[in-house]
Amino acid sequence: MSWIHGTWAVLEKDLRLELRSRYAVNMLLMFVLSSLLLVAFSVGQDEISPRLRSALLWIVILFSASIGLGRAFVAEEERGTVLLLRLNVRGSMVYAGKLAFNFLLLLAVDVVATAVVALILDLDVAVPGLLAAVLALGSLGLAGATTLLAAIIARASNRGPLLPVLLFPILVPLLLSVVSGTREALAGGAGWAAAGDELATLAGFAGVIITTAVLLFDFVWDD
Amino acid sequence: MPFEQTAVDVRRYRIIRTVILVWLTAVILAAFLLPIPRINILEHTARNLYFHVPMWFTMMAAVFVSAWHSLQVLRGGGLIRDIRALQAARVGAAFGIMGLVTGIVWSKYTWYVGTDVWWNFDPRQTMAALQLLIYGAYFVLRTAVDEPERRARVAAVYNLFAAVTVPFLLYVLPRQLQSLHPGADGNPAFSEITHPIMRLIFYPAVIGFIGLFWVLYTQRVRIAAVKLRVTRDPEN
Repeated sequence: MSWIHGTWAVLEKDLRLELRSRYAVNMLLMFVLSSLLLVAFSVGQDEISPRLRSALLWIVILFSASIGLGRAFVAEEERGTVLLLRLNVRGSMVYAGKLAFNFLLLLAVDVVATAVVALILDLDVAVPGLLAAVLALGSLGLAGATTLLAAIIARASNRGPLLPVLLFPILVPLLLSVVSGTREALAGGAGWAAAGDELATLAGFAGVIITTAVLLFDFVWDD
Repeated sequence: MPFEQTAVDVRRYRIIRTVILVWLTAVILAAFLLPIPRINILEHTARNLYFHVPMWFTMMAAVFVSAWHSLQVLRGGGLIRDIRALQAARVGAAFGIMGLVTGIVWSKYTWYVGTDVWWNFDPRQTMAALQLLIYGAYFVLRTAVDEPERRARVAAVYNLFAAVTVPFLLYVLPRQLQSLHPGADGNPAFSEITHPIMRLIFYPAVIGFIGLFWVLYTQRVRIAAVKLRVTRDPEN
């Protein structure tokens, strides 16, 4: 089986399962909605700065990723399908397929979160293309890290809320760049030119994270 | 069995340990007793240079040692490598906490005197705090996995994965936060603003504290290895 073929098979399997139960999507969207509404209620009518707005947006995205995406491998363990997956496809295909699935979920979260923020916090996006680029690149890095760590916690005996603890220290460089990139996109000004460094950092971060994760994944996946 | 690797020449070990402890004692005495040039505001707090900066160097050394042994775990080094990675991380975290505390107290009464600021978002301070956070997560992860072999592998993967992200901070943080540290943000380099007599004690202090790390680290590794041999159950 070619690499692309195997990856696609894993992604297709996850998409089908998700369409059947719609558990992850519903949970993620409800989480995003309720946490953003909580933010809106507690902020009230006060004007908040673009920096704070982008920070709030990203903290909600980060928390929903750490809560919703952690199930990718735990679910396989619970269903008892890990062995089958291990027999049929290589580790890197599993990682790539799960990464693609998580990335798609995160893109959905991005769209909903941005729409809700725009609606209730009165968001003016000065450079929409830049915002989309920052969201997509940030989500790619986020999905890359979350997928490997989800495989790690699936091996742990006491899972609990382990994923956020492992995830947040690793994501600080990403959070810093993504928040300042989002701020540039909201505030306008120099737009693309001002956020060039942030985009380069995000692309580099996603590249390094995913490369390292592919290299390390087999050690977590194989027993 | 992997335990034979820990068999050391006890005589040689004791000699090296004694040399390090005598060396460090001499450095500490010199750090407190030798005269230093007077600088406004800094005054005698400048002596903290002999303690604060070597703590950082030692933590960085410990981070490298820990990551190296984590890599060896993945290359089939066995449980002894996992013990080494863990103990290097623990001793390194202790040095990191001491570096953070000495830095916070020092800067509170010099750089930020009159501002009443305890925590300042200096890039180096933030980076050190993050390294401690990573080790905290690493220790928590270890307690969550029961089976020793699996714990060794999973913890090694996390340690290496986190180590890869830290260099990004070197690039991201200085662009967003301002630093008062020498050598950062176009500040004059350490060697330009430090009097030769202070450097005469500073470099031996770096060697001394890295030596202290080595003593503590090897001691803990040997205790953990004995514990593993006796109980068959490594500590986590």
